[in-house]
Amino acid sequence: MCGIAGIYAYLDVAPPVDRAELRRMNDRMAARGPDGSRQWADASGRVGLAHRRLAIIDLSEGGAQPMQSADGRLTITFNGEIYNYRELRAELQAKGYKFNSESDTEVLLQLYADCGPAMVGRLRGMFAFGLWDGRSRQLLLARDPLGIKPLYWADDGWTLRFASQAKALLAGGAVSREPDPAGIVGFHLLGSVPEPFTVWRGIRALPAGTTMVVDAAGPGVPQRYHDVARALVERGSGAACDPAAARARIAAAVLESVRYHLVADVPVGVFLSAGLDSGALLGCMAQLGARDISALTLSFAEFKGANLDEAPLAAEVAARYGARHVVRTIDRAEFEHDLPAILDAMDLPTIDGINTWFVAKAAHEAGIKVALSGLGADECFGGYPSFVDVPRSVHWLRPFDWMPGVGTLARHGMSAAIAAGAGLHPKTAGLLEYGGSWAGAYLLRRSVYMPWELDELLDPALLQEGMRRLAPLGLIGGELCEGGSLGDFDRVATLETTLYMRNQLLRDADWAGMAHSVEIRVPYVDPFFLAALPPGNSLAATNAKEAVADIPEPPLPPASRNRSKTGFSTPVGRWLSEASGAPTSAIDLSAASRAWALRVWQAGWTGPAAAPVAP
Amino acid sequence: MAIRVLALVGDCYGARGGIARYNRDLFEALALGGTEIQVLPRLGDATGAVLPPGIRQQPAIAGRLRFSLAALWAAWRARPVDVVFCGHAYMAPLAWLLARLVGAHYWLQAHGADIWRDRPDSERRAIEAADQVTTVSRATRRILLGRTNLAPERVRVLPNTVGEQFMPGPPSAALRARLGLGDGPILLTVGRLASEERYKGHEQVFAAVPALRAIFPGLVHLVAGEGDDRARLQARAAELSPVPGSVRFLGFVPDEELPELYRLADLFVMPSSEEGFGIVYLEAAACGLRVVGGAGGGGGDAIPDARVGLIVDPLDQAALIDTIKRSLGQGRVDPAAIEPYRRPHFVTAARLLLARVKGRPCRKRGES
Repeated sequence: MCGIAGIYAYLDVAPPVDRAELRRMNDRMAARGPDGSRQWADASGRVGLAHRRLAIIDLSEGGAQPMQSADGRLTITFNGEIYNYRELRAELQAKGYKFNSESDTEVLLQLYADCGPAMVGRLRGMFAFGLWDGRSRQLLLARDPLGIKPLYWADDGWTLRFASQAKALLAGGAVSREPDPAGIVGFHLLGSVPEPFTVWRGIRALPAGTTMVVDAAGPGVPQRYHDVARALVERGSGAACDPAAARARIAAAVLESVRYHLVADVPVGVFLSAGLDSGALLGCMAQLGARDISALTLSFAEFKGANLDEAPLAAEVAARYGARHVVRTIDRAEFEHDLPAILDAMDLPTIDGINTWFVAKAAHEAGIKVALSGLGADECFGGYPSFVDVPRSVHWLRPFDWMPGVGTLARHGMSAAIAAGAGLHPKTAGLLEYGGSWAGAYLLRRSVYMPWELDELLDPALLQEGMRRLAPLGLIGGELCEGGSLGDFDRVATLETTLYMRNQLLRDADWAGMAHSVEIRVPYVDPFFLAALPPGNSLAATNAKEAVADIPEPPLPPASRNRSKTGFSTPVGRWLSEASGAPTSAIDLSAASRAWALRVWQAGWTGPAAAPVAP
Repeated sequence: MAIRVLALVGDCYGARGGIARYNRDLFEALALGGTEIQVLPRLGDATGAVLPPGIRQQPAIAGRLRFSLAALWAAWRARPVDVVFCGHAYMAPLAWLLARLVGAHYWLQAHGADIWRDRPDSERRAIEAADQVTTVSRATRRILLGRTNLAPERVRVLPNTVGEQFMPGPPSAALRARLGLGDGPILLTVGRLASEERYKGHEQVFAAVPALRAIFPGLVHLVAGEGDDRARLQARAAELSPVPGSVRFLGFVPDEELPELYRLADLFVMPSSEEGFGIVYLEAAACGLRVVGGAGGGGGDAIPDARVGLIVDPLDQAALIDTIKRSLGQGRVDPAAIEPYRRPHFVTAARLLLARVKGRPCRKRGES
């Protein structure tokens, strides 16, 4: 887990790599890797790689990066963890490959030597890397299947630059801050910027589950090696199973995933809420023999003694599995104090990530470098209301999707009624226009603002160009391209996994965790784990979300199951709302999100560079 | 079997100008690798010209409809065609149609001025449908990416190249005598004198001449090139730099005489604001002549660093005068700075781009 950066002056006319620029890029990511900082450049000066290290596996100098193969042909800068590296290592050793270190990074080098870019399909873990092949003079950029680790690139037509953070590319000084209307519109619609866009025209995200080869003619088209919809179609082609068998498969899959996610040469902690997902992770960790587990829980001064306080129940779960329980209490003063640093660390605008910021901060204070998180469980077990709302909307409203103009007409009518004080949420107006298609219904469910509301927020020309290039319904629907035969559950799971989880939850976990030098591991976000689960319709019939409570031995306490889902059960929503100047009466989540989205955007993303906030 | 390319271009053989030269350089680079290229130009007369092996050029057809029909017929007859190359954005819809018709890949080349103004929707969509787009400069690429929904990895840059005839050498005393020049420094501008290309900045240089002559007595500004704006420019020169002979119009100078002219001059000055690439900057520098170019457009790509020259704001007259002052007397250009623009690099890059577009699956609707 680290920060990576690189520059490849691929066209002969391009000036050689500016090492000072590379250093500035790398320095912008200091928090990602406090344990070391290095640079490497090839003899021709045409390519340079940089790395900031947070040492987790092989803490010795043997794990330092950029790392070069023994023959000098391959050099890699890598961010992430490969959980099955020991198996891959043994396999490669059996083929005659020799290893000089105990690190997972060296496994990547040897695996590339063995099978080239196709190596990515063998990796179980989270990763983003740049690998330079000095023989073919090609740079391979790769990102993990579900998008846990970020990777951004900028290409001016002569030189390609990449980094773990978009802001690191800007910090180098050679990449323009010219705004990208598509990303800006995307943020205002969805509350996060959908990949491959960023809010800067010159910077793109390498999409999750793709690789990109850069040769002497520049970057090639990203090649997709993992598609969530296709993976769920394959899973769905297996036999359905009865609830008991489904529960057994869920249990085996979770336990196996947790086992893989414990691979580390430092202690692994867990972010523990009062919910089932993180409790089950802790239970599995204990059951698998993890020792000296630290469990971190956020508590809010406003909720002390109230039902919303997660700390008492989390304490019960922690005690049940013998974990050291750290409760960190946050109050509004701390939130306000941290806000400038939060906005500085925030790599792309987002309406979330505040909770992760504080829990990662608490982990850092407690000396924890690695923590498991229950992120992703709602996506795979159907924990969101969208698993019910979106299919219902599509099935009921599909006829309106076939009647052009009717939905738009209805929206105009309803918007007028809402403006006149009909007491409905503004998004309700789009029900008939959007609700009859999967993409439209999902947009309606997840959007912060709907497209027709944006003309009050954004410049008309920017909005028009942004909408044309973003094409939000095409972008959302595109995730289902390979999922023709998917059932309702898997369709929603695909959309939540590839859009909300990828563009918001995972990106936020990365910047907010990394800002405190804490590696967040997500056992529920793992294609091997997802493939091992029962088909979607079986998960839907099993109440999979609750089944996780019975996975550990002993199972989670009854109080955990009985606790009603409290949703956004932190005062952060109120703080955000107040910090953004919204009336305090508007505490409902949607209004808070809208106000907060505007506040975040006003922080100045595409204007002249602001001075970085001191850590 | 050889790769077959059908190329729709504005002009190529039998025509003057930077774009025609670029097309010739590109096709010759591809033909060297065994590719067969059939060129369909709108302008230019190559009658009697001996073209390099592998390249054939059809007679030019200026009329839009006749050209389109002839292109359709040529594409149909030329089957199988591997790649349809389109040398100008305004022909993109036709190129897209031809490529679909004969099942070929579609490669679009943008030069600069053709995409600097917003294109009609039909052209924009046809540009976006290209399997690969190449531009001569980073600036043109940036503008194109802003105007269209092309994924950045599909838009590659292939800068102009400069021929081996453009090499450093001693200044020709004979040429100096023939032109009747004294000992003063010589500023040189080479470019078409076209009313639609007034962005080249001739007048800014005329206006700078009197101030420069105060510091460099005998300084002369030579203007090479011809065009419909010449009479107007001559009148402007007489107004702005009234000393007779301080600005000299040489008319059209054939390619083969240009190197000698570059070697004779002391500074190449063209504060152009919209150059697509500015091949003349590169030619001048390849002959060792230091360059002052204009900011805006793609000119910066031909003047990559201070070893070659400096870039000024064309509207800042004081900066222009100061830059010329500083540049005169700084000696000749380091040949190593020009080496990456030489033909072997261009040939390698061009062939790599052909291999890329050829190896790429044809795009489906809706793909970015």
